Amino acid sequence: MSAADATSVPANAQSLRMALRVLGWIGLGLIALAVSLSDFLASAPAGATGIGPLLAPPSTQFQFGTDVLGRDMLSETLHGLSMSVRSALPAVLMALVFGALSGFAAAHLPKPFSVTLRWIIAIPAALPALLLAILAIGLTARGWASVAAGLSAAPLAFVRAFDRADMHARSMHSEYARATGISPATLLRRNLVYEFSDAFAAGAARALAAVVVILSTVSFLGFSAEPPHRDLGLMIAASKPYYLRAWWTAAFPALALMVLVLFARLAAGLDEGERP
Amino acid sequence: MLRFVLNEAGRLLLSLFGAALMSSAIATLSVPHAGDGVLQFFLAWGLRLNRSAHLQFGLSSITGLPIASELAARLPLTLGLVLEGMAAAALIGIPIGFLFGAGPVRRAAAPLIQIVAAAPVFCAGLALAYLSANPPYWPAQIGDGVRFGLKILPQTAAHAPATLLPALTVGLAGAAAVQLALRRAAAETARESWRIYLQRMGLLRWEIEGLYVVPQIFAGLLAHLGEVMLALLSASAVAEWVFSCPGAADLFVKSVALHDWSVAGAILFVFATLTLTAEFLGRCAARPMIDRGTST
Repeated sequence: MSAADATSVPANAQSLRMALRVLGWIGLGLIALAVSLSDFLASAPAGATGIGPLLAPPSTQFQFGTDVLGRDMLSETLHGLSMSVRSALPAVLMALVFGALSGFAAAHLPKPFSVTLRWIIAIPAALPALLLAILAIGLTARGWASVAAGLSAAPLAFVRAFDRADMHARSMHSEYARATGISPATLLRRNLVYEFSDAFAAGAARALAAVVVILSTVSFLGFSAEPPHRDLGLMIAASKPYYLRAWWTAAFPALALMVLVLFARLAAGLDEGERP
Repeated sequence: MLRFVLNEAGRLLLSLFGAALMSSAIATLSVPHAGDGVLQFFLAWGLRLNRSAHLQFGLSSITGLPIASELAARLPLTLGLVLEGMAAAALIGIPIGFLFGAGPVRRAAAPLIQIVAAAPVFCAGLALAYLSANPPYWPAQIGDGVRFGLKILPQTAAHAPATLLPALTVGLAGAAAVQLALRRAAAETARESWRIYLQRMGLLRWEIEGLYVVPQIFAGLLAHLGEVMLALLSASAVAEWVFSCPGAADLFVKSVALHDWSVAGAILFVFATLTLTAEFLGRCAARPMIDRGTST
């Protein structure tokens, strides 16, 4: 490989990554628009039964078909998407505050405290976030599903942020900074600004991808949303008895869910094996 | 190396102790009046820990059976699913990880990988069930996966579809985790300066790849074995629910729904043990490979 190749390949990779990130943010923006206008865009209110014939396949009149109660699947998918996004937003905030931000700050505490904290948080991080969310909902109530999803996504984010901050603290620039008399507080402030000014939006998108999957799965298992406020996970769960002969009842909500997660992952710039 | 293994073993023991504390705290919620105050809770927690140390895990508040026998009946199915899923993950994930982890293909595959990774496990499970029930009419139904014992392979051809669907669902989730770990390791190895130095020393490209790069990538996968185990366990919970397999993950979901905290705590401890042990084994196995690369 020539020197020119060596410089052009990363540049191409950077531009592709940037294009994908922009695509992700545009997609999330469109979803936000659809969510905020869902009541206007949907031809039927949420949970309205008998709008059309039972289990009618997609047609010009009902583009996404109807379900077993004659609900318009297009309207229901829009309302479900709106419900999923709205319940994910508090969870994203929880995951960011108790995950990445706390992990980064904890790594700068005095050594005995930081090591103990890392050990404590690593224990829930050794459990699947899905099971943690189910446990948290079981210990509280279904109304707390958003908080539970955010808290269950936090331990792994905490551990990753802690390890990254620990690596920063042992890096050469930190050594030089300490040697030149820069205080630990100034160094922490600098690292926090460096970490979160560039990566806050990407971190939020990453948390969104994670909590949407957790929330929809706990809903699918019957632990989160309750009728008539159905999110996408509950819509897919409700279609389970008859989706083998009426595919559209599960396919369109699943597609909406996948598109939401896909745009969040793209916006986060997840690549090279990163997990949300 | 011995010092590293001893360090890791110490970390494992400490983490297992923490997991035991957490699971017994959850199980304490089953004790009557434990929630009346902080002091009562800590007293009940201490008693619970003492009993657990004497291998007395208590009774399920739903079935009235000893928790040890509940676990003995349900856990083999989950372990079987995880093992089958791990085999499927290795068979699918490793070739894909290497294929999509190399040079220009890695960048071209990035959007495709994102689309595949965006599918939640329950959507993949339902899609597999749908494909099995429609042309070409694979004779399997949702809820047909009842089986007991650690059966790595189905015993008869008739059992195969029912056995394979949940295993394939878990395997696909595991394969996604495996190929992500491989791609991450491949990306990290691609940035290493020693590749250029080895080229300048006159080694051929395939020699560098075969002798140095591939072991480093495998080391990266092994170092993230804990994450792969997390993905497999999480997928097991969903697969057992979708295909009505009465495994330990399914029991956990039902125990939480019915507030049977003793059983839920015990299952969480087992799952944490599996993840922590996988992490320990993976890190110990990866260490010699990483040392070899570093010395290069």
